[in-house]
Amino acid sequence: MLYALMGLGLSLITGVLNIPNFAHGALFAIGAYLLVSAANLIGNFWIGLLLAPLGVALLGLIIEYAGIRRLYAAGHDYQLLFTFGLALILNELIIVIWGPVGISQLPPAILRGGVDLGFTFYPKYRLFVMVMAGLLVLLTWLFLERTRYGAIMRAGIENKEMVSLLGIDIHKLFTVAFALGAFLAGIAGALTAPIRGLSPGMGVDMLGIAFVVVALGGLGNLLGAIAAGLLIGVAQAVVAAYWTEASTAVIFAVMALVLLIRPQGMFGIR
Amino acid sequence: MQRRDILKAGAAAATLGFPAIIRAQQKEVVILGLWDQTGAFADVGPLNDRGMRMALEERDMKILGRPVKYVTRDGATQAGTSTRRAEEAIDGEGARFMIGPWSSGVALAVSEVAKRKKVLHLFSGGTEDISGSRCHRYSFQWAASPYTAAKTVVDNFMKANPKAKRWHLLVADYAFGWSVEKYIKEVGKNHGIEFVGADRHPLGEREFSNYVQKAAANRPDVVVMINFGGDAVAGAREIFNFGLTPKVPLIMAWSSGVEELIQLSPEIRENLWVGTNFYYTVDTPVAKKFVADYRAKFKTPPGYAPSAAYSMTRLMLAGFDKAKSVEVQDVIKALEGIEVNDLLGQMRVDGATHQTLRPYFFLRCKPKAQMKEELDFATLIATGDAPLPKEYAACKDIGGF
Amino acid sequence: MRALVLILISICLLPFIVRPAIASEIWIFAIFGLGLNLLLGYTGLLSFGQSTFFGSAAYVAGWLLKNYGINVFFALGIGVGVGALSALLVGYLCVQRSGLYFIMLTFALNQLFYFIAYQWTTVTGGEDGMPGVPRPAFLGFDFANPILYYAFVSVLFLLSLYLMRRIVESPLGKILQAIRENELRAEAVGYNVPRFKLLAFVVGGAFSGLAGVLYAMLFGIVPLEAISFVFSGNVVFATLIGGSGSLYGPIIGSFVFIWLSESMSVMWARWPLLLGVAFVIVVLFFRGGVVEVWNRFFAWRSSKQRA
Repeated sequence: MLYALMGLGLSLITGVLNIPNFAHGALFAIGAYLLVSAANLIGNFWIGLLLAPLGVALLGLIIEYAGIRRLYAAGHDYQLLFTFGLALILNELIIVIWGPVGISQLPPAILRGGVDLGFTFYPKYRLFVMVMAGLLVLLTWLFLERTRYGAIMRAGIENKEMVSLLGIDIHKLFTVAFALGAFLAGIAGALTAPIRGLSPGMGVDMLGIAFVVVALGGLGNLLGAIAAGLLIGVAQAVVAAYWTEASTAVIFAVMALVLLIRPQGMFGIR
Repeated sequence: MQRRDILKAGAAAATLGFPAIIRAQQKEVVILGLWDQTGAFADVGPLNDRGMRMALEERDMKILGRPVKYVTRDGATQAGTSTRRAEEAIDGEGARFMIGPWSSGVALAVSEVAKRKKVLHLFSGGTEDISGSRCHRYSFQWAASPYTAAKTVVDNFMKANPKAKRWHLLVADYAFGWSVEKYIKEVGKNHGIEFVGADRHPLGEREFSNYVQKAAANRPDVVVMINFGGDAVAGAREIFNFGLTPKVPLIMAWSSGVEELIQLSPEIRENLWVGTNFYYTVDTPVAKKFVADYRAKFKTPPGYAPSAAYSMTRLMLAGFDKAKSVEVQDVIKALEGIEVNDLLGQMRVDGATHQTLRPYFFLRCKPKAQMKEELDFATLIATGDAPLPKEYAACKDIGGF
Repeated sequence: MRALVLILISICLLPFIVRPAIASEIWIFAIFGLGLNLLLGYTGLLSFGQSTFFGSAAYVAGWLLKNYGINVFFALGIGVGVGALSALLVGYLCVQRSGLYFIMLTFALNQLFYFIAYQWTTVTGGEDGMPGVPRPAFLGFDFANPILYYAFVSVLFLLSLYLMRRIVESPLGKILQAIRENELRAEAVGYNVPRFKLLAFVVGGAFSGLAGVLYAMLFGIVPLEAISFVFSGNVVFATLIGGSGSLYGPIIGSFVFIWLSESMSVMWARWPLLLGVAFVIVVLFFRGGVVEVWNRFFAWRSSKQRA
């Protein structure tokens, strides 16, 4: 589910803005760290869960406005360099502010312990994350499919020129899309914090997986990203049951395979 | 920028260049601490540095009347970077004595550098190859042999839990993981233990749910984790979240001790048994002083990382003292067979394999009710120092200089 | 001409300013960059997986050097061959795509090779790398001597530079640049664009392979990083910082990148922060990299003189 969330955010950004956002993993990490700080400062996990992704969205806004905006015509290599540089900066800032040691974050008291599902004992918090992530994905999808602004965004993925010709401020659209993508990354990070723990490098692995999800789902295809995210999560679990060491490698193998057969991903539109 | 910084930058630029002959003072003893500041072990490097620095400062940065120059390099937890930077420090700074790195895999590569450049190299880590199949005259291993660790853990756990016969292993897919796993299985045979499962996970893994569910499916009496740092913390947490502990005891066979335990909550630590190279309640005069000093400076008690660095440095300095010389080969000869009563108690370096024979510690974590204070994680219930039996010794000939 | 003189001077002076090993590394990385830039700067293809060829060549040649004691030139030949072959494979799979898909596919294949190297511990040593790569003597030249090896590397670098220059100035080079400028038009004019892209890949891969073998011999070890995407990223960034629009960009980039990362890491553990800032500044203000700064400076100076 988390993979779907990350994939969705990244797909949105790459689809609407057409840039490779190598900072997506770092945004994920910042979401987790902001949660820890907020939860510790305010003493309430739930408020922290609300504030952290908003903080990341704000960061996304600033990044888009100050930096990415100038790069739309620049070509993928520079966008890559920029977002990668950003990822480095954010990563190192995390170490500077929160230190290089891993941090643990406990789930809120109500969600500790597990439920006996009969065939297996499953932690409550993980169930919560699944539900929460699913809800977010649903909400985002509804926003994009059913609201007017969502429709504009989808149109922006298809054809930017047309959208701007129709009189819509394309720059504002990009900013909102980036902020939304950042928000999704941030909340994914915040939700993950009690499960995986925090460490400065936590964004890097996620970045690779997010790209795989996006590539599989088809650039710009949001539903595809969701489906791909779920698929990857399931595939990883299945492989892990038989050949645990290869479970991460398999993800990339699958990606390479799919891209070769169907370059536009499983559901890609272009 | 302050002028100081500009000068520093200029000095750094210059140091990148000038050959050692011009720069290193004739009388200085240059010691390299190869500690990771970036990469997977970025959190450990600073801790190692603390320990090493403390040991050197105890001697006022002097040995045998000569000033000691302590230099550090960031190995980035990568073999290529570490060997490169180690060589640079050896050639550029004139370092002849090297301690580190922390990663056992990288250490094998660095050990080659030590052999090639003929510098003394001390290392603490779980790969038995440094004192085994890849042994050579210049490298020394401080950590207990994985055999010693396995024997201490298994023997003492079985003493307390004689009925626990079904064991499931969760092993980091790395040099130390394989070594410890091998010996746990060997020693376990003597206790009639049935190993119902053994899974390997990549180093740096954070997503343990699949492994835990597999472990649970095997219905073990005990789960043993052979991993380290962030992996161990994540694994222990997941094992608890999925309800395996505290019903089923969890053994962390090659733990860093404090550094990991401090990241786990008391609930997770219930029924947790820990085998480690160092624990801060060990009762020796050197340890007591070190722990007190460390706590005064850094607030938390020292775990494996700073203690290992501290002890290795002290061991090296003891070598200098015994040899009465700062020549690499003299110090090596002095270290071979040296016996000290130091941080861990009785410690001896085996001249034939360069393995340090010393106690390994086995702890049982305290439930919340028994903890006297926040950092009172565990009771030291046993130590073991059984050396690797000769039939397993893979170091046939330590070689010459 | 001026550039060539500068390069020759730096080759002679460098081992006295930095250690021979670092100096060798700079030229090796420059060869790697030259290979990449054929794709990036001249053909407009952002290959984010160059370390696939670099690393594969390093592993194969390193393994042969270690276990079969082959001689240096044979090792170099193997390196070039493996680099070219792996590039042929990867390129064939990638050239049909474009834009972000192309980048991601090169990245994914790089990751695949990386994980194979990671898992195949019996051959590659996995995370520990493949140590013990020798630097055999040849024709009386004892390459274990760092200065001699440096000379060897420099000669090979000059050769590579010369070759690359010939390539980019040849009809092939022009065609590649045409593809960069406008792929459709190149296609329309009758060039088999995918075929030429593939050729660029193979040539770039050959250069990368050469660099890989030299790297393995320099450090006596083939580390896993050599085939990682981080390494691929490094050469891309170094080239962009130097300036991908020029033949000499990768050389400058190699200088800047390696010298900076080595000197910075000693001073401040958090130096990647500065690296990130450098990237951001380059992208926002000096897109042509150091070469652009250089040109702008001279343009400014000459305009001042005129005034």
